[in-house]
Amino acid sequence: MPHLGSLLRVARRLTVQSASAEDLVQDTMLLAWRGFHQFQPGSNARAWLFRILLNAFYGQGRKASRAEPQGVPFNQHVRPAAQEAAEIAEALNALSLEQRSVFLLAVVEGFTCQEIAGILNVPIGTVMSRLSRAREELRKILAPQTKAMEAKGAFR
Amino acid sequence: MTDDELDRRVRAAVLSEQLDTSRVELAVRNQIRQRYIPGWAVAAAALIAMLAASVLSYRTFLREQTPPICVAAAHDHNHEIANGQPREWLSSLSAIQSLASQQGVPAEAVPALVTTGYRLERGRLCFLGTQIFLHLVYSKDGEVFSVYLRPRGSESPFDGSVRQASVDSEELAYFQTARLLAVFVDEQSRAKALAFARAGARVL
Repeated sequence: MPHLGSLLRVARRLTVQSASAEDLVQDTMLLAWRGFHQFQPGSNARAWLFRILLNAFYGQGRKASRAEPQGVPFNQHVRPAAQEAAEIAEALNALSLEQRSVFLLAVVEGFTCQEIAGILNVPIGTVMSRLSRAREELRKILAPQTKAMEAKGAFR
Repeated sequence: MTDDELDRRVRAAVLSEQLDTSRVELAVRNQIRQRYIPGWAVAAAALIAMLAASVLSYRTFLREQTPPICVAAAHDHNHEIANGQPREWLSSLSAIQSLASQQGVPAEAVPALVTTGYRLERGRLCFLGTQIFLHLVYSKDGEVFSVYLRPRGSESPFDGSVRQASVDSEELAYFQTARLLAVFVDEQSRAKALAFARAGARVL
């Protein structure tokens, strides 16, 4: 099934819990299957699926999920990549749901602001400001790690 | 950290996550399989339902068009001959002719049907509705036919020509002459019932 991985990735970031994410993607695919006659051939199928996913997420009373920050203790036995992934995951979870969804759609899934405006049914200006605020927030959260990485020359 | 650097960093971290989509895919496929009824199946079911309704309507229409005597004859043949109810029958030609005469059916009518190539097996009286008929059983090539005869009197339930009808699994042919009402029943073949009745119409 096309785009299942992308949908599940975003769903996991929205719901935080893995089982809820799978339920959400399952609902999304069934809604898409049932409403396939509404899909306009030639339009962006991926954007259409994400629109269904986010509508399902908001429409079915799913609450905005924001995991409690648990801190990511430095552990020299954990691989640096895994440590980085855990820190990023925690930083994303700290964002508001609106900022998180815009950021994920733009940065991870590669949608344009125009496409995201269509998916979320909000003005493009709103998308741009949410994206900007999300980046700002992430920079703040990740600042300590960033300094350490800059010291190691990771961004050169 | 620039926007690009931040984006690259977050994207790399998120995309490094291991995802197993197989469980979701299996669940979706199972649900679709359970809910999906192919369009052709719906169309076929609708067509079958329409055909069944048409056949039922047609049979009801035919039954309504069939004289009540014929419907009763079909049921009697099915009950007495096809299902082989244990009854007392007369088997000698003279005894059957005598019975026919008592009921006002010309005695010569009984052997007259034999001349058309059918063998007389047995005979008795029976009720079709509220009327008494002479029930004769003939055979030909292993096939058994019932012939119901009754003096016509002043009534005229059939017209003069040989008519055909189907009642449930029975095939009937019937006619009236100046003297008699006659109903021929065969369990298997419409053509054979009709052939026997046409032969009978010539000699009765």
